[in-house]
Amino acid sequence: MQSANMLLKKIVRSSVLPVAAQHGMKRDLFPLSRTLSLSLCLKQDNSCKPSEKLDLDAWKKVMKSGLQEEVSEMVSEPQDLSGLAAARETLEMWRIAGKLVPENVSEEQLKTFMECPSKSAKKKYLKFLYLKELYKKNDKRKMEEKRERRLEQQEQTSKTDETKKGPFLCLWASTMDKAYNWRAAQSMIFGQPLVFDMSYEKEMSVREVANTVKQLVQSEGCNRRAVDPFHIHFCNFKDDSLYHREFLKHYKEAWGKLLITVTEQCYTEVFPKDKLIYLTADSPKVMKTFDHNKIYIVGSMVDRNIKTGVSLARAKRLGLETAALPLDKYLLWNTGAKNLTLDQMMHILLTLKDTADWKKALEFVPKRKYHGFVAKPVSELKKTLDLVNTLKLGKRQEEVQKQFAKSYPKK
Amino acid sequence: VQPPEKALQSEEWNRLRENFQLPEIFEEVMLNSMIRCNSPTDVAKSLLTHMAKRNGDIAYSVLLKYLTLCVQQGQVSEIRDVYDIMKVRFKILEVGAYNLFIKGLSNSDQWRMALTVLEEAKKIMIPSRTSYESCIKAASCRQEMKLAFELYHEMLAKEVVPTLDVLQSFFDFSRGMKDAELQKELFGILLYLRENQIYPHKTFMRSIKLWFESIPGRNWRGHLTNIKDSGQCPVCTHQLEDSNLTEEEYNNLSERIIRDVIHGTDTFRKTSPQEFEAFQTFVENRLPFDIVIDGLNVSHIKPKRMHCENLLDAINCLAKDNVRLLVLGRKHMLINSSNWKREIMKEMQNKADFFLAENISEDDAFLLYATLRSGKHCKFVTRDFLRDHKACLSDSLTRHLFRKWQRGHQIVLSSMFFSVFSQQPALRYDCVVQTTGDTWHIPYKDVFEEKYSYQVPRKWLCIQQK
Repeated sequence: MQSANMLLKKIVRSSVLPVAAQHGMKRDLFPLSRTLSLSLCLKQDNSCKPSEKLDLDAWKKVMKSGLQEEVSEMVSEPQDLSGLAAARETLEMWRIAGKLVPENVSEEQLKTFMECPSKSAKKKYLKFLYLKELYKKNDKRKMEEKRERRLEQQEQTSKTDETKKGPFLCLWASTMDKAYNWRAAQSMIFGQPLVFDMSYEKEMSVREVANTVKQLVQSEGCNRRAVDPFHIHFCNFKDDSLYHREFLKHYKEAWGKLLITVTEQCYTEVFPKDKLIYLTADSPKVMKTFDHNKIYIVGSMVDRNIKTGVSLARAKRLGLETAALPLDKYLLWNTGAKNLTLDQMMHILLTLKDTADWKKALEFVPKRKYHGFVAKPVSELKKTLDLVNTLKLGKRQEEVQKQFAKSYPKK
Repeated sequence: VQPPEKALQSEEWNRLRENFQLPEIFEEVMLNSMIRCNSPTDVAKSLLTHMAKRNGDIAYSVLLKYLTLCVQQGQVSEIRDVYDIMKVRFKILEVGAYNLFIKGLSNSDQWRMALTVLEEAKKIMIPSRTSYESCIKAASCRQEMKLAFELYHEMLAKEVVPTLDVLQSFFDFSRGMKDAELQKELFGILLYLRENQIYPHKTFMRSIKLWFESIPGRNWRGHLTNIKDSGQCPVCTHQLEDSNLTEEEYNNLSERIIRDVIHGTDTFRKTSPQEFEAFQTFVENRLPFDIVIDGLNVSHIKPKRMHCENLLDAINCLAKDNVRLLVLGRKHMLINSSNWKREIMKEMQNKADFFLAENISEDDAFLLYATLRSGKHCKFVTRDFLRDHKACLSDSLTRHLFRKWQRGHQIVLSSMFFSVFSQQPALRYDCVVQTTGDTWHIPYKDVFEEKYSYQVPRKWLCIQQK
């Protein structure tokens, strides 16, 4: 209360109020309509009250005066603007200008930045780094919050100390690991092979390779946890390739102990040709059922710039059978490319293997990509869809048909 | 937020700030809205003063926003002050600041300073095309044409694409000058338009016309006209360059199509080596064709009719005067179905040669190959714009060649309501800026907006020496 009073007094004492008071506008002064009314009176009275005039260029003096010492320092500094140092400097300027630039940039990242061929590539790369940094920071913050909460909880539980006694020792993580590894080892002897074709390195950018490896690591993880895992083969795998280096980054020393087969050979050398089926979204053939006697091949490739037909070309060259998932048959497709990530493929294949239930398997297709499952035949569905669209959206029939024809091309 | 209309005292700013939902970003939001409302600089200054008093420093991003406001209002002395402050305060500046300084200073009598700023900017990056534009305009509007052209050539050397405005300003500001060197430079710009297949818009065209007519002693006269389908200019009866490629260009293009479009990174992506070989021997044995038809594309022209009927119509429509037809399609056309009747297919096969590719191969690539192999007189029929094939070509020069060839050789069939087919004939003349020394013909766009890349302007500026 006192502070509020002080503030009021200050305002009353300040230059504005007397001016306004002269014009009998005291009531209008307070918050809402202040700016308007004030400026009106000030306009009239500025000239006759020079003492109350603002020094508009005061900021310049401040900016210049605070700098004298710094300036002398800077002059002594040699003005070399070359290479990494200069790039770092530029990045810093961009950052304080409010662009999406990360705070910390490593030497390696700086080099990648300088190698970007165009301005837009540079901007994109910086934004990527910036977002990465942001996510990392957020994660860290959340982790710390979590730790604090846990500590609090521990304190509480220690107060009401009551050690639980049960028949099992609490060794979940390592026991589970052992069980999983046991299963994976079994699959290496008796399991159905699943091949990842690692021959797409040339087709991808460095970032795409990194993404691919990340997806592969995830697929391997979910395979290991499955009830009946596949025997994973990485075929066409070159030692010391970009794939290899990325894998080492993820797995570190565990890379040598993974229960999968990694080979430089092509799958055609390892398996009989007539048993292989290459899975690719471009395939004209649609997969009807999951065959337990076949060996499915998945191309380890992330293509961000939609290179159609790359994996189909590979299968054609080797004369292999191809297949695509029956996405159109079971899902009412919405948007997005029909190629799925490797871990989604893995989930789908594992589910198919266990249950042979397409509906269950295709649950792993991202929800944003489809409207819903197709229960009835496509033609009937089309009728209802047409009706709904014409009623709801008022779209013309032709447009709807066009839309439909686009998502369900006649083959 | 509505910015105040008049400069405020620190206390008042403080109060406004406190009332704001997010006091941390108050200054930024306020400055942004000042830029939007084009508030007087005094208001912004008072805010800066307030900030300086509060923090003893003003952030770079804030200075940048203030600078934007000053540039917007052309406050040159303020821009200079900000420049001095920034120069002392920061070791180097970034692109945004340089662009603003150049833009702000080039419009004033301090324009030479914009040039020094441009020099500084070059040290850390390639300046943007708009920065070059400002400097070139500033120089040329003070009749410093030599300097302007120096900048222009520097820009081209750095592969910065000049804006049409820059090119136009050259013509605007050299009106009436007699300098031979300058004339050569301006003709150079016209040739630049020719090489890059750029079409000037209407106002630009007018500048060109006025410049030509203003050259003393030369007696150039310009007329606006439409070129006849025969390629003859109605004003000066001059025959325009025809759309045929030269022998060398032609060979170059066919080589590139085979290399980039058909084979690409992997022959298997579009066809297979066996199939391509089979196709090659097929074509070589029956050369030359007069018209190559994209069978599947044509068969979809009228959606309500059977596919094979559409194709038959098209073949009947084109098969006059003993022309040799080649129809490209896929193998599934041979299978008797509701859309492809065997009898009609047989009938068509008597009238034209058919090559049917595998169902998963791309027939467009074959279309291009067969047409190019048949020679310059051969045309092809499809409604496809062939954009994806153009995109496969690796450099812009070949892409231009492709477009030119396409304009001269593609026949587009379109279905009218009742008539059978109407043909949009291939253009016989080439649609680029062209000259014979004493005449110039310049195609131009009616509107400023980009036309579709497959369309060419039909309006021309004809300039001749009397």
